[in-house]
Amino acid sequence: MRNLLTAALLILLSACGGDDESRALQYYFTYDPRSLDPALSTDVPTGEVVALLFDTVTRFDVDGRLVPGLATRWETDSTGRVYTFHIRTGARFHDGRPLTAHEVRTSFLRALDPKNTGARAWPLTPIRGAAAFTAGTSSEVDGLAAPDDTTLVITLDQPLNIFPKFLAMPATAIVPPDPPADFDQHPVGSGPWRFVSWSHDDEIMLAKNPDYWGGAPRSDSLRIRIIPEPLTQAAEYEAQQLTVVEIPFGETRRWELAHPDELQRRPAIRDLYIAMNTTRGPLRDVRVRRAINLAVDVPTLLHTVMADRGVRAAGVIPPGIVGYDSTRAPYHYDPAAARRLLAEAGYAGGFPLQLWRSQRPEYARIAQSVQQYLGAVGIRVEIVERDASSARAAVRKGQADLFLSDWYADYPDAENFTYPLFDSKNRGPGGNYAFLADTALDAMIERMRSTPDSAQQAALARDVDGRIFDLAPWIFLWFPVDLWALQPDVTGWRIPAIFFGQRWMDTRRTDVAVTK
Amino acid sequence: MRFLAWRLALVLPTLLGVLVVTFLLLYVAPGDPVQAMVGERSDSATIARLRRDLHLDDPLYVQFGKYVGGIAKGDLGRSYITRRPIMRDLLKRFPATLRLAGAAMLFATLTGIALGVYGAWRPGSWPDRLAALLAYLGVSFPVYWVGLLLILVFAVALHWLPPSGSSGFKYLILPALTLGMRSVAIISRMARAATMEALRSDFVRTARAKGLGELRVVLRHALRNALLPVVTVLGLDFGSYLTGSILTETIFSWPGVGRYVLNAIEKRDLPAIQGSILFLSVVFVLVNLLTDLAYAKVDPRVAYD
Repeated sequence: MRNLLTAALLILLSACGGDDESRALQYYFTYDPRSLDPALSTDVPTGEVVALLFDTVTRFDVDGRLVPGLATRWETDSTGRVYTFHIRTGARFHDGRPLTAHEVRTSFLRALDPKNTGARAWPLTPIRGAAAFTAGTSSEVDGLAAPDDTTLVITLDQPLNIFPKFLAMPATAIVPPDPPADFDQHPVGSGPWRFVSWSHDDEIMLAKNPDYWGGAPRSDSLRIRIIPEPLTQAAEYEAQQLTVVEIPFGETRRWELAHPDELQRRPAIRDLYIAMNTTRGPLRDVRVRRAINLAVDVPTLLHTVMADRGVRAAGVIPPGIVGYDSTRAPYHYDPAAARRLLAEAGYAGGFPLQLWRSQRPEYARIAQSVQQYLGAVGIRVEIVERDASSARAAVRKGQADLFLSDWYADYPDAENFTYPLFDSKNRGPGGNYAFLADTALDAMIERMRSTPDSAQQAALARDVDGRIFDLAPWIFLWFPVDLWALQPDVTGWRIPAIFFGQRWMDTRRTDVAVTK
Repeated sequence: MRFLAWRLALVLPTLLGVLVVTFLLLYVAPGDPVQAMVGERSDSATIARLRRDLHLDDPLYVQFGKYVGGIAKGDLGRSYITRRPIMRDLLKRFPATLRLAGAAMLFATLTGIALGVYGAWRPGSWPDRLAALLAYLGVSFPVYWVGLLLILVFAVALHWLPPSGSSGFKYLILPALTLGMRSVAIISRMARAATMEALRSDFVRTARAKGLGELRVVLRHALRNALLPVVTVLGLDFGSYLTGSILTETIFSWPGVGRYVLNAIEKRDLPAIQGSILFLSVVFVLVNLLTDLAYAKVDPRVAYD
């Protein structure tokens, strides 16, 4: 009987191995994209897959540099409000229809139309007439014109020097005219990959577009699995079933020991921070906020909690972005100085604060450490843990003193790290969780956004960052460093600077070693 | 028949209760669905427009009336986040959940009863002691721990099975083992106790006196009487497996209803949460009904009419 069972088990298991799935490129998302319609792209997986299936007018390369997309070049007039984009000839949708400047214009109108898409395409709203069109008070967007097949002329409400970067955003990707009702399930784009199938919460299959104007991808297919659990992602990689995998912070040391040759690092254009609500209690006083910054030993925290996967922050603009100032000295850990500043502000006896956080594992340890550091200078911190959605809702309403969070760049530009996060117009829902309202800073940000001169823009970005550092609306923690593992036979893949910046064009597996 | 009609009639108030409770609970829960829809970067005009479009600013009773009206027509509404019909998404995922729940129950029933009956027949033997240990571990170890351990051993170390996914039979084995493990533990202990009791009873002594073979005595006479409590456990567990096993589905990237519910909750997708809970309540109530009907089959003394 026992022998029979053993034999049956062996037969069963031998029938289970043996397929050669490791040859194809296999990637993963942690959750299902909400839609494959670019106009609904407000989440990371949708943005990533849209960048593979569709084209945008401009594009970010893997290093986050703005490069030509459907537009081969573009220029602006002396006012900084009128942009002319020269659309390439020869681009076609996957169903064979041509893609010209007219299709670009039609696609933009669709993305702005609340009836079709919910009008979440904020990158297009700076176009003159777009806001009225979205609000339903106008039937035309007069700032959008396609005088011929290869010319797209866009007039903005006001000068905005980063506008060409907005046209690289997935939400602005070009869809064919009159898309069918189930377009979000069966998208037709013009990008390097064609849509094959989508099984929800399971996998998305893509095939290479052999006729792509930029040259076909080097691999035939790309399978994107939906794998929510990080430890399962790691197991899939170790079982050769994923081409690349992102290493969670808590697993850094183990991977450095087990797979040192397979790891790739890249400083992320991302901030990890604790926002201090500058309208609540003692936090209104800048001396208190600076004292809090002095009270936290950030380098030790970075070392012990994050295995040094981060660059110490002395401001908000990360390395790799124009405006980053490597010479600015961070707030050094000095609890005695912190106590002096607190006493000067009238809080020698300390005070209570609530620190809100979501349920990410590494956040628990960061929050507890900060609680301990602040406790040492008399600030009694109560940690409030909520799911991400509830925590953010409370923070946006201004109900939290401190909020531990991170900020991923939508697009690689200093503007993306300053305007949404600190301009007084964006207090609360807009991203300014510190509720900072500083007239001088607002004016500096406005100048930085509108100047057409790139050297001046860089200098202004540094000044803006310096001003934010002085106002101390955050506990400045660090800019995280991304860590990924690649199967040893993978070539042509690098960690993208921006999340939708890797199009898998040159990626392939050279020497397929299947472990059985 | 009267019993069946009575039980079906009871389903309606149960579901209405579920409807009212989920509707109200979600409206008092923290978190804003529109904030989740628009993502990090949004302006208050867009948020106000979306709230208006979704009728979120209507009085609660108006929203509830609209919702019940839709359900009466068999329409669970559309997800705020994906804009897809909720019923269609649930029905697409349900076969995967059914497959996993069925496999887990099959594994649990066969293994649990075999271990239990053998243990009752040969108490104190090594398989009996092993079964006791497995039962102890089965109820003590959390599902995610067992799931990850199975992945590490059978997928990463031995390469016998895939770590996760749902592309075929081999993908079903590890999640079914993980999910069914707790049931194996409970069923084996219950089957053992009930079979032991039956083996000591007069009718078994009679059967043995008639000269029946030992296997026949145990399987035909003792086991049949031991099945009733087991059926109760099977019904309850199957019901809970069918309503989504969030942990198992998450660990094994299994595209079932459990993950749909979890995603909906994380995104504050109100209609999707309400629709899923209602759908799953119907499933649970129906499974319970079937369990009750199964009693009559297993035990002729249970007659409902």
